Amino acid sequence: MVRKFSLLAATAAILAMQATSGLAQDVLNVVTAGDQNMVDYINDFLGPRFEKDHPGVTVRAVGTGPGDAGSLKIFEKLDAQAKAGTEKWDIDVAVVHQRGAAMMMGDKLLAKYRSEISTGKLVTRDTAENALGTNVDGFVMPMFHSQIAIAYNPSVVKDPPKTYAELAKWAADHPKMFGYNGIKGGMSGVGFVMGWVGAFTGEGEKLEKGPYDAALKPKIEAALQQMKPFNANVTMTPGNAGTLDMLNRGEIAMGPVWVDMFYTWRADGKMNPDVKLELIGPGLPGQPMYYVIPAKAASAKLAREFVELATSADVQAEGIVKRFNWYPGIDAQNVETKLDPATWQKLFTDVTPEDLAAKGKPFPLSNYFTDVLETYERVAN
Amino acid sequence: MLLLAPALALLVALFAFPISVSLLSAFSDGGAYSLGNFARSFELYGGDILYSGAVCVGAVVVTDLLAIAIAGYLTLGENPRIVAILRWLYRWPLFIPFIVAGQMMRSFLAKNGLLNNAIVATGAVDPINTFGLLDWRGVIITFIWKQLPFVTLILAGAMASLDRSMIESARNLGAGRLRALIEIVVPQVTGPLIVASVLTFVTLLSVLSVPVMINAGNPTMITVDMAYRITSLGDYGTANALGVISYLMTAAVAWLYLRQGIRSEPKL
Repeated sequence: MVRKFSLLAATAAILAMQATSGLAQDVLNVVTAGDQNMVDYINDFLGPRFEKDHPGVTVRAVGTGPGDAGSLKIFEKLDAQAKAGTEKWDIDVAVVHQRGAAMMMGDKLLAKYRSEISTGKLVTRDTAENALGTNVDGFVMPMFHSQIAIAYNPSVVKDPPKTYAELAKWAADHPKMFGYNGIKGGMSGVGFVMGWVGAFTGEGEKLEKGPYDAALKPKIEAALQQMKPFNANVTMTPGNAGTLDMLNRGEIAMGPVWVDMFYTWRADGKMNPDVKLELIGPGLPGQPMYYVIPAKAASAKLAREFVELATSADVQAEGIVKRFNWYPGIDAQNVETKLDPATWQKLFTDVTPEDLAAKGKPFPLSNYFTDVLETYERVAN
Repeated sequence: MLLLAPALALLVALFAFPISVSLLSAFSDGGAYSLGNFARSFELYGGDILYSGAVCVGAVVVTDLLAIAIAGYLTLGENPRIVAILRWLYRWPLFIPFIVAGQMMRSFLAKNGLLNNAIVATGAVDPINTFGLLDWRGVIITFIWKQLPFVTLILAGAMASLDRSMIESARNLGAGRLRALIEIVVPQVTGPLIVASVLTFVTLLSVLSVPVMINAGNPTMITVDMAYRITSLGDYGTANALGVISYLMTAAVAWLYLRQGIRSEPKL
C-alpha cells in the first residue's frame, strides 16, 4: 500500500513538474500541423538555431497530424482555452494550413504581428493576405509554399497528359494504372479533386476568388458525377505516402503527389529516380503553411522572435529550400540570392517557374471546399 | 457504499458522461433536437454501415471455423510434436497490435507484395496476372489473422476441460477424429464459442487502423468515416450519429452474449 502510494505521489510530482515547466517563460511551445517532416524541421533545424541565439530557452515542438485535421486540432485547443477564459494560452507559435488559419481568424484567436517583425516585409504574395477568401493580412507569415503535381513513370507513360481531360482519357484507356488517395487519405487527393472540379466546371477562377455563390452547386455536382466512372477505373491509394509507395512498386503508373515530399523521397533514395512530375492544366492546387501566434500566447515576444528567425532569408534558403525541398514562404528573390544556382534549380527540375505561375492554383474558398467534399461523397463514389 | 463510490464516480466520469454527451450531439443540430445527423449518416454512409457489418460478420465466421480446426487438433491431435509446435505458434498474433498487423499486411498483400512475389517466383502465375488484396479481402484476412489466437485460446481452454471419456468412447466406437470433433466436442463448447465470437465482433467493429491502411477505396468501414467527419470537417454530430449506429450493432450482438450468460449461469 505504502509503495503504491509513493508511486502515485511520484507520478503526480512528475506531472506537476511538467505542467509548471510548460507554463514557464523559457519554454517556447511550437505546435505544428502536417506530416512528421514538419516536427523534424522544428526539432532538427529551427529549434536548435533559436536555442543557440536565446540561451536558456527551450523550443518544444508538438505535431498534431497531417492535413486539415492537424490544423483543426490546434483550432479546437485554442478555441477551448478562449472559451474557458484562460489568460495565457499554452501554444506560442502554431503552424497551420490555410483553412485552419481562416477558422482561427473567424473566432479572433490570432495576434496581428506581421508588422512587428523585421521579416514581415519580405513577403508580398497574395497568400500572406488571403487564406481561402478570408483576410489574414498581418496575422500570418507563410512558412513555405507547396504544390501538388502529377507524378508519372516515363517507362509506362510515354506521353504524359497535359490537362485533366487528357488525364481522364488516359485513365480510361489504362484501367487501374492511375492512383490517388480519395478525399479521406490526405491533401494530395483532396487537391486533385479540387483541381478536377475547377477543370470540369470551368469555374476555377470563381472557386478560388469568390464571392461564394451557392448557385454553383449543381455545376459542382455535374463535374463530380463525371468523376464516378473515373473513380471506378483508378486505384485508390492509402494516403500521400501510399501513392508514392505504389508508384515505386510499379502498381500504378501515375498519381498526384506533393512536390516537396516527392523531392525529399528522391533525395533520401526512397523514390524510383525515373519518376517525373507534370503540372497539368488548367491547374492543380498548392498551399502555404502559416506561422501564426495565438492572441494570448504565453510567450508572445519569444514567439515573434521565433517567427522572425524562421522567415529570415538565410533560414528560408538553408532550411526550407535546401534541406526540405519546399518552395520558400517569403518572396523568391530574397531567397534565391542566398543559394547557389544548382540548389535553386533543383526545385524546378520538372515543374518550371512558368508552369508554377500559370498552373499552380490556390485551393477553393472554404465554403466551396466544403461543398466539393460533401458532394464528392454523395455522387463520386 | 463508501467503497463503491470511487468505482461509481469513475464509471460516471469516464463512461456515462461521455456517452450521454455523444448521444446528445448525435440527436441535435445547432442546439435543437434533430435527426439530421442520422439522415446524413444513412445518405452518405449507408453502404459503409452494411459493409462494416458484413466484413465483421464474415471475419468472425471464418475465424470461428479456423479456431475450431486448430483447437480441435490441439485436443484430438495424436502427434505430440505437431501439437506442441501448433500450441506454441498459434498465439503469436495475440501480442501484435492491429496497426502493426495492418502495416505488415499492407506490404504482404499488395499487388507487388511479398505474397504475390512468392507465388510468381514459383512460376505458377505471371506477374501481369497477379492482383492485390488491399481491399475488403485484405481487411478480412488481417482481422482473421489477428483474432484467430484469441478465439482459439478460449476454445482450446474449453475443449481441454471437457470430460475426455465421451471423446474416448466415441473414438472406441469407431468415430473418426473429424466426426468426434463435429458431433461430440463442438456441441459442448458452443457457449464459449458464442462469447468469443461476440467479443471478436465488437473488437473488430471498432478497429480504425486496419481499414485506414488496407482499404483505401470505397466502401470502407464506419470507423474511417467517423474519423474523417471529426478530423477533416470538425463534424462531431454526424460522427456521433455513426457512433450510435455502431452501438446499436454491438448492442444486437451483446444481447446474444447476455442471453448466453443467463443460460449458462449455474442454477443454485
